[in-house]
Amino acid sequence: MGEVLVITSGKGGVGKTTTTANIGTGLAALGYKVVMVDTDIGLRNLDVVMGLENRIVYDIVDVISGNCNHKKALIKDKRQEELYLLPASQTRDKSAVTQEQMKELCQTLKNEFDYVLIDCPAGIEGGFKNAIAGADKAIVVTTPEVSAVRDADRIIGLLEANEIKNPKLIINRIRPDMVKRGDMMDIEDMIEILAIDLLGVVPEDEMIVVSTNKGEPAVMDKTSKAGQAYRNISLRITGEAVPLMHLESHTGIMSKLRKLIGF
Amino acid sequence: MSEKKVSVKVPDSKAILVQRTIRSGQSIQYPGHIVVLGDVNPGAEIVAGGNILVLGCLRGIAHAGAVGNEKAVVAAFRLEPTQLRIANHITRAPDGEKWAPRQPEVARIKNGVVVIEKLQSLEEHYLAFCQ
Amino acid sequence: MLQILQKIFGVNSPTASKVVAKERLRLVLLHDRTSIPPHVLNSLKGDLITCISKYLDIDERNLDVSLTNTDDSVALVANIPILKVKQYL
Repeated sequence: MGEVLVITSGKGGVGKTTTTANIGTGLAALGYKVVMVDTDIGLRNLDVVMGLENRIVYDIVDVISGNCNHKKALIKDKRQEELYLLPASQTRDKSAVTQEQMKELCQTLKNEFDYVLIDCPAGIEGGFKNAIAGADKAIVVTTPEVSAVRDADRIIGLLEANEIKNPKLIINRIRPDMVKRGDMMDIEDMIEILAIDLLGVVPEDEMIVVSTNKGEPAVMDKTSKAGQAYRNISLRITGEAVPLMHLESHTGIMSKLRKLIGF
Repeated sequence: MSEKKVSVKVPDSKAILVQRTIRSGQSIQYPGHIVVLGDVNPGAEIVAGGNILVLGCLRGIAHAGAVGNEKAVVAAFRLEPTQLRIANHITRAPDGEKWAPRQPEVARIKNGVVVIEKLQSLEEHYLAFCQ
Repeated sequence: MLQILQKIFGVNSPTASKVVAKERLRLVLLHDRTSIPPHVLNSLKGDLITCISKYLDIDERNLDVSLTNTDDSVALVANIPILKVKQYL
């Protein structure tokens, strides 16, 4: 029996889909059987991030409405053997799916896969409620911005109200140089405010844009810092204790001096 | 709201003319032929019982002969679909290959597979379009 | 001078934007987390009335219960006019 993880954030544009694609690929690369479900009906994107957009024939609405068997709708990934995508429908809207139907779908997928990753739409309305309906655990993605942290806080409250306990936090797009200057909230600041466990920290990385352009998740790119972060996150999801990676590429003379003086 | 379906029922007409850009999430379905004067963007879908002719760039999904007509064709000034379907056949561009045609092309079923050819003159394909 | 030194050594001054961000966030979340939907506030009001009426005669029509934000805290403020104290035997 597998586990259903919902990846959510409240605010849009913080990297839910990128995170889903990378964790999905990361877990599959570790040898687990993984399915990613895009629940952003009407605004699907996980397919393009994975580079699978031209293989879609059936989608989640077809499966839920009984138009076709879920096995027929699942799209096998290009690179990973045991990775599948259930795409959202692009020409329907969120009302095409109910929470009960989502629960049922998650239950079916859980029996066949080790991990079921649900890519949640932005917002707290119907789409969000559907996405979390069948979830066992939640991953909340945020960025070091006031707006994203505020929305993350709201989402954490809603998850807890829906009996999804102890959501885990991913801080995305952190810029070590700005944190150092004091112009960006650091990890401790956000953990203190949100008061939940940290699953990982992903640095801002141009390779994410490049990999999204190509439709290949950065997690497989050994040179990418964000890729490394997602590999660590995937390992932590499987229960391994991986220390946080060092974000600063080099320690400057000033920080050494500062340590010397004792600041 | 995201759903936009144009299904016009005109029993005595066999084709519709769509004069706009078909955007992601929009779907045009018609039992006869569909002629688009504009582009079909990625994520958009055109489903015709007969042929599809796009006087513009076809980047979305096109399904000609949707009820099983294997003689249906899809033609476009720029034929770069995400996915192309004719009757029960489904094709897509090969992975990692740049596919940027510089001339009008037509897709049809030949010997059981979907082939794409230059659309040299409409006259040449006139018969196909008349079927 | 101190500011320049702080900048050089990268110490967060109180005006560093992350300090501002954190402070603003703390306030906004304080408000978000304590925002009570109107129907909940109404039933709280009703419960307060039944409870207080056991001991005091109160003017229910001029009763006012609301949440107030001060700079760094949120308080439940109830303004309950008392008509008379119930006599105990």
